[in-house]
Amino acid sequence: MDSLRQEKIQKFEEFVDRRLKPDLVHAIVERDKIFDQQKIFSDLRKNIENLEKNSVTSLRTLVNLGSEVYMQAEVPDTQRIFVDVGLGFHVEFTWSEALKFISLREEKLERQIEEYTRLIASIKAQIKMVCEGIRELLQIPEEKTVEGRVF
Amino acid sequence: MGKSQVKGTVTSLSSMFPAEEVQKAAKMVEDKLSDKQNEMNQLKEFIANNTSLINLVQKLPDELHHDIMVPFGKAAFFPGRLIHTNEFLVLLGESYYTERTAKQTVEILKRRGKSLESKVNTLKAVMQDLKAEASFFDSTASEAAEGLVEIREYEEDNSTERASQSGSLELETPSVAEADNKMGASEDDEYARIMSRLEELEKEELAAEDNEENLEDEDEDANAVESDGNEDELIKAAEGDGDEDEWTKAAFHRKKDECYSYLDHGQRYSESQSRKQLQQFNGKEPIEEMSNKYKHQDLTNQFASTGLTEEPVTKGEISHGRIIQQDTKSLSPSINASAPFEKKSVQASKSEFDSSKAFTGSIVEHTQNLDKSSVGTNMTSLQSSGSQPSKPVSRFKMQRK
Repeated sequence: MDSLRQEKIQKFEEFVDRRLKPDLVHAIVERDKIFDQQKIFSDLRKNIENLEKNSVTSLRTLVNLGSEVYMQAEVPDTQRIFVDVGLGFHVEFTWSEALKFISLREEKLERQIEEYTRLIASIKAQIKMVCEGIRELLQIPEEKTVEGRVF
Repeated sequence: MGKSQVKGTVTSLSSMFPAEEVQKAAKMVEDKLSDKQNEMNQLKEFIANNTSLINLVQKLPDELHHDIMVPFGKAAFFPGRLIHTNEFLVLLGESYYTERTAKQTVEILKRRGKSLESKVNTLKAVMQDLKAEASFFDSTASEAAEGLVEIREYEEDNSTERASQSGSLELETPSVAEADNKMGASEDDEYARIMSRLEELEKEELAAEDNEENLEDEDEDANAVESDGNEDELIKAAEGDGDEDEWTKAAFHRKKDECYSYLDHGQRYSESQSRKQLQQFNGKEPIEEMSNKYKHQDLTNQFASTGLTEEPVTKGEISHGRIIQQDTKSLSPSINASAPFEKKSVQASKSEFDSSKAFTGSIVEHTQNLDKSSVGTNMTSLQSSGSQPSKPVSRFKMQRK
């Protein structure tokens, strides 16, 4: 009986270590990516709002040519802006259109984050359940035999 | 030749280097290797980017303006132009920037490229080392799996010890490399080899006029004809010490093979010449003269033979056979009297055995790096122990008592 229990415990532990924990890590990584995207778009929105507020028509920036070598660049007309809408497409927008698009985009990202959060929570719950099961399996033999393991 | 006096330990290589551990080590090295490979790839990418940037920087000043899409954050662009096409802002690190022209920027980038190249080279060297380590581990693992064994043998006679390693990790002579789990098998092989040599020696001995002279001739023959390792073997065989002879022979046989590079050919040649001279004198001079000649010859051979040590003949004997001395001196002008004497089987000199130079220590013999002095002293004891010009075996045995 003991050996059987030990086997089960071993299996549970393996399951936790090999399936659940990597899944958890993976889900967290994906969610972080979405967070980054969200940040990018929120920054863009803020910049556009800034431009609108200050009625900036032309712009001077430093463009990174690569390896942190910059060159001055001038934007004569800031009315048109090209926004990345995914799948390699950039759409020409006016400011207001751009702002609308960005808000739509942000909503979508929010929903994605929500999904990932739920997934992460479920994985964590599963891990806890398995640990609890192992605890149960061990506590019963504990009464009969010498105390084996304490969580 | 009682083998009971030979102690030994047989250590399986797999116990010294457990197979799993070796595999683990091999895997670790492989992981490191792959890490370094990734770093290498990254560095190569940097170098490629650097070169392309150099090209770009060189082309930009060709125009006053360049129409480009100016990025605005990570997800948006503005149509715009590049202006001031000869002014570049370069990051030097630690938030320090500098404005440079195109030419100066190119120079900066070239210097960066050089440092990247040197990094790549060092990384390559590190990877080479790791690869060598990995191959070493692989070979060890395979050998441990095969069941190679490290054999250590000890002799207890005259409180001498000799450890012969038949490890797999070092270069081995064929005789040693063949040593498997069967220690007895290797012993038998060496035993047979030694016996055959003994027979040869006895034949040569009979052919000579005097027993003693023949023996010395044998020694001379051995020295002149073969390497000094064989010389040791012959002497040992002549002495007739059973176990010690066997092992010393085997050891010296191996020694001979491995230390062949140590042999000084010139000295050997001089030795052979002196031997010829000696043969001319056969039957004429007394043993002391022969021993004198040997002494001189041995001095020349002190570096040639791997560890032969000679008993110093008393000066009283030098007065005899001046002709021989002259001959030997002419043959071996390089005699260095201050160098450690080499000992050969000098029967007469045994009576004047200088106890102060008798071997009382232990002999440790390694297959590759022979301890010349210690082996030489071994030779000394074995040779000095035989004193009488009888059959090699009996003479040596008698002396040992």
